[in-house]
Amino acid sequence: MFFYYIYPGLWETFFSELGMEPVVSGPSTIRTVEKASQISETEHCLPNKLFDAHLAELVGKTDMVFVPRVLSTIKNHLSCPKFGPLPDAARADIARETEVLSVEIDESRRPLSESLMLLGKQLKCQKSQIRSAVNSSLKAMESAKNQPVRSLKKKGGPRFLLIGHPYVIHDNFIAGPILQKLEKMGGEVELISFAEETPAKSYILWSTANLIYHTMKTISREDYAGVIQITVFNCGCDSMMIDTYRSLMKEKKIPFMYLMVDEHLAQSGMDTRVEAFVDSLGWRS
Amino acid sequence: MTYMAIPNIGNYTIALATAVESLGIKAWASTATTPEALKLGIEAAPESVCLPLKAHLGHFIEADRAGVEYAFMINSVGTCRLRYYRHMIDQILKDLGLKIKIFGLGFDGFKPPIVRHFDPGPITFIKPLFHTVLKIKVIDELEMAAWRTRPIEITHGDTTRVMNKLLVKLSESKTMAETRSLRRRVAGSFADIPVDKEKKPLRVGLVGEISFLRDKCLNKNIEYILGSQGIELKNFFLLGEELENITRIIFLNRSRGKSLSRIADRYLQNSVGGHALDSVANSIHCADAGYDGMIHLCPSGCMPEVSIRPILKRVSKDKDIPILEMSYDEHTCGVGIATRLEAFADVLMERRKSGSAAGRRENARRG
Repeated sequence: MFFYYIYPGLWETFFSELGMEPVVSGPSTIRTVEKASQISETEHCLPNKLFDAHLAELVGKTDMVFVPRVLSTIKNHLSCPKFGPLPDAARADIARETEVLSVEIDESRRPLSESLMLLGKQLKCQKSQIRSAVNSSLKAMESAKNQPVRSLKKKGGPRFLLIGHPYVIHDNFIAGPILQKLEKMGGEVELISFAEETPAKSYILWSTANLIYHTMKTISREDYAGVIQITVFNCGCDSMMIDTYRSLMKEKKIPFMYLMVDEHLAQSGMDTRVEAFVDSLGWRS
Repeated sequence: MTYMAIPNIGNYTIALATAVESLGIKAWASTATTPEALKLGIEAAPESVCLPLKAHLGHFIEADRAGVEYAFMINSVGTCRLRYYRHMIDQILKDLGLKIKIFGLGFDGFKPPIVRHFDPGPITFIKPLFHTVLKIKVIDELEMAAWRTRPIEITHGDTTRVMNKLLVKLSESKTMAETRSLRRRVAGSFADIPVDKEKKPLRVGLVGEISFLRDKCLNKNIEYILGSQGIELKNFFLLGEELENITRIIFLNRSRGKSLSRIADRYLQNSVGGHALDSVANSIHCADAGYDGMIHLCPSGCMPEVSIRPILKRVSKDKDIPILEMSYDEHTCGVGIATRLEAFADVLMERRKSGSAAGRRENARRG
């Protein structure tokens, strides 16, 4: 769930090429959240809780669950430290009854294709078969990446940039209500793209945070009417970064708002805040 | 006189003060974050950052108000939020319009900027550094003696009194000879405390986030509370050991991490960041060594420590050792902590009486 959106299309192609049937957990709903609050560690961040619920959904239905250990997705960058023990935590608790398949993805140490080769070896497949699976899955990912994630509706309304971790802004439960509301109000919404592979180096080492920082440095006032950050309760990375983003946006005079989502998200609460934000943009002009 | 504020890492601040004084300036520090400093930090920092940052920040703001010009803090190269502390604190202090200048210390070159700035002569500088290391070792020994003595003392508070007296003497000690003679007296002073030799205290290991393991204000004096309940402790953060580990990494490229990951391999195959691997490995180690229980301390929402909790739960079940999870935030109060610890101690006592696996191991060990 965490990495599904960073590597679109990759995993399905890879596993089906190797003769398996990939099963992807469904989009997060309020049921997922209810399940998460029952089974997950209380102090985890919301995506981590959702991850546990998604995992629980798959356990029992499948012969194996795949939980990669994503240490870095961009060279010389790091992922959130919470990704480090994920497969171990899955083995220890929720997916105890099932076999947990895992592979270390660390771009600083080896490229993705090599990590995939290692994964194939774990599955005891033929080398040539793995190689062709790697190639076709990487190709599938490329083509999926080049498609715009969300088709933009050209309505001429205010344009918003939505920023946040990929597993946050693509999540149905977390970002869904906010996206719907913005679109209902006639706004155009663009989700931040994580396709950039070499963001400028900065003091930030977390890959997603640095990509967001990098994007925010390049945008200008003419591009967007406002920037909205969606963050989740107990997110460690965002807690350090929000102030940086905010001051950057202040410098550029782009209106900025952040919305923090937790398990008790209510549509009406988000509606009010989004409406107020859009209204306040109207007063500026 | 120029003053420099140093971060609070428990009693080790005494040793660090010696290092600062080697630069020809005075140290401004205490062995625990004051509640006022914590309040200042909470006001100034973004609400969702972790508590150690607020404690650090508050300490520096308090220092600035007291007219302190410089401060130093330890840079981290890890994966968690600690890495960004320096940047964030700099930024917040600038926004508040405070003048205090912060030096980073740690992994940024052989001659860090702090030394270049004050530029003391090599002899006046190197010697106090050795003295600092010596003091750190003495403090390690003091802590360990206190953990052993406090649960079996007959008159309540004796150990703390002896400990404080020695710590004051240590902070006043100016020469290495003085510190060495003090070191020789440590064992004797603790041996003079009247103790109940028959008592077999419960043994509990403390693991978790370092500032909570060390700072008495942040952890609500957990060592004292546990000690007075008749629990013998082992706190898994000793600065002396940590320094040895760092030296080994630098000179021999051999870190303790490797042996830890060997211990933890079945449960955790990644170092995660912070002291998460240490927490898991030490819990397993303690379970095997016949400890009665473990306490895992961390600030609320700590990224590495919270993420390994499911693993600790499994260790606890597999190895039959109770692990108490303690998480601290701004609103944690000492009484609540004390109540939980008392309940935990009761549970451990009952387990021992009913002859749990740990209890049996313990009896076998003591013959």
